[in-house]
Amino acid sequence: MAAVAESRSRPRTRPQHVLRGPHARREARVGLLFVAPCFLLFLAFRFGPGIAGLVLGFTDYTIGDSTHFTGLDNFQRMVHDPLFWSSLRVTVVYSVIAVPFTIAASLGLALLTRRAFRGSRLFRSVFFLPVVTSLILASTVFIWIFSTKGPWSSLMGLLGLPEQSWLTDSALVLPALALVGIWSRCGYGMLILLARLQDVPRELEEAALMDGAGPFQRFRHIVAPQLKPAFFFLAVIETTNSFQIFDAIYVMTGGGPANASYSLVYQLYDAGFKYSDLGYASALGCVLFVMTVVVALVQRMVLGREK
Amino acid sequence: MTATPTTYQDTVPRALRPGRTGLVARAVLLTAASLATVFPFYAMVVLSLKPGAAVELPGSLLPWHLSGSSYGAVLDAQDVPRWLLNTLVYSVVSVVGVLALAALAGYAFAKKRFRGREAMFWSFLSMVMVPYHVTMIPTFIMMAKLGGVDTYWGLIIPTLANAQAVFLMRQFIRDLPDEMFEAARLDGCGELRIFVSLVLPLLKPILATLGTFVFLWHWNDFLWPLIMGQSSGMRTLTVGIASLQQQQVPLSQVLAGSVIAFVPIFAAYLAGQRYFTEGVTGSAVKG
Repeated sequence: MAAVAESRSRPRTRPQHVLRGPHARREARVGLLFVAPCFLLFLAFRFGPGIAGLVLGFTDYTIGDSTHFTGLDNFQRMVHDPLFWSSLRVTVVYSVIAVPFTIAASLGLALLTRRAFRGSRLFRSVFFLPVVTSLILASTVFIWIFSTKGPWSSLMGLLGLPEQSWLTDSALVLPALALVGIWSRCGYGMLILLARLQDVPRELEEAALMDGAGPFQRFRHIVAPQLKPAFFFLAVIETTNSFQIFDAIYVMTGGGPANASYSLVYQLYDAGFKYSDLGYASALGCVLFVMTVVVALVQRMVLGREK
Repeated sequence: MTATPTTYQDTVPRALRPGRTGLVARAVLLTAASLATVFPFYAMVVLSLKPGAAVELPGSLLPWHLSGSSYGAVLDAQDVPRWLLNTLVYSVVSVVGVLALAALAGYAFAKKRFRGREAMFWSFLSMVMVPYHVTMIPTFIMMAKLGGVDTYWGLIIPTLANAQAVFLMRQFIRDLPDEMFEAARLDGCGELRIFVSLVLPLLKPILATLGTFVFLWHWNDFLWPLIMGQSSGMRTLTVGIASLQQQQVPLSQVLAGSVIAFVPIFAAYLAGQRYFTEGVTGSAVKG
């Protein structure tokens, strides 16, 4: 009967006779039955734990012991934990380096492969390949690329810079990791931007050309405004992603040298699964959650101002 | 390349085609970018075939004096075949489970009316902002209590209810015409029959792209299998290869492991590239 009542309040899209009586009840039963397996698993393994994870941040949970609500204790401890400030700084610095360069590289690749030419699809396929490649596998070879006698330090030598391993230098380890991040992500941004570039009205570009606008002016006044939503989308996705950086660091540096690449998720992993300090790990998870929400809010605000 | 019409698709207007300098610049940039993209893959393969070589540039990168002995060594000394099996089980079972559950739920959300439908759907969406790392901790605790750590079911079951997949399925099914299902129902077909023989075949395109996306995601997943696979025999390939790296196994053997883990994805990418690009971009844009 509930389905009937519901159907009265919403616009009718189907003939009324389908919604009345036993038919509607059957429909409701079937609907519930079909949703149930997925929804129950979702409650048990995503919704429930998602909420519980945020709540655990306010407890002293460790496996086996009794649990107490400790209020803001974990967060007070965090404020006085130099390792937390260090991992937060690493995470933010990494993102500040990686995100803009990833988007810039994505834009470069998109503009290069924008117009169809012989082989343009092959180039796109090549640029997308790192996106489907596990960062763990890629990291095993990037360790060698960034090693002391590896190709990257040789390349730096050719440019007149010191030949050294970027992974063992605390000032250079984050730029090195960002390079890996850019390599692995820019093919994704390229595809997102290519999809938007299809929508740029060609007549506008031609008209601008007739008016004597150079390639840079055409890009700035005609193409870039069209790409704006895609840039926002990429900025949010890539920032959220890089806040969660862990895989490449775990394999390539283990957080070193001297915690110079020890990220927030790395600390969460160690706290929770190495030291079984699951309450503190959850509190770190809360911080990650807040960071994610802030990125989304900033996006909302900026988009709101645009409108 | 010259700016003759045969080089370009005729749809690109002559005025917007780059001039000779532009063409040269583009060719140079494309070549540089391609080399930078491909180089790690090339190095991975070549160095995996050079066991025991002191890695010196540029000699070690030349494609001769190759030997496959690192592959034998890594397959013998480590649990690589077992890791491959674990990865396959994790990926394949998850794809089948996620697709089946998401198709059923997406169909109900799109085409059935029942009490609580909107609330349930919004609860799926509400978790979008909560990072997986938050969820992972209580899920692990639960699995530790249920004895699911270091088992297949403990690894797989928590990943089956995929909100993104449900959302995409609902979007897709909503656009299918109602009349078709009504006709089948009036002909007296049972609901499950309608779902299996009428709905599922229509879902082929989304099943293919979503399936590819979910498969790739599980194949490359790291943190969850790392936490759940505590013994060597329960590691997936990504976790196993990370452990090789940490055991100071010789470089060529680590890279041989990486190549073994990469080849299936690469082969699938060559065969069905469209599904990869649509799966990865489509899932993210809409989800």
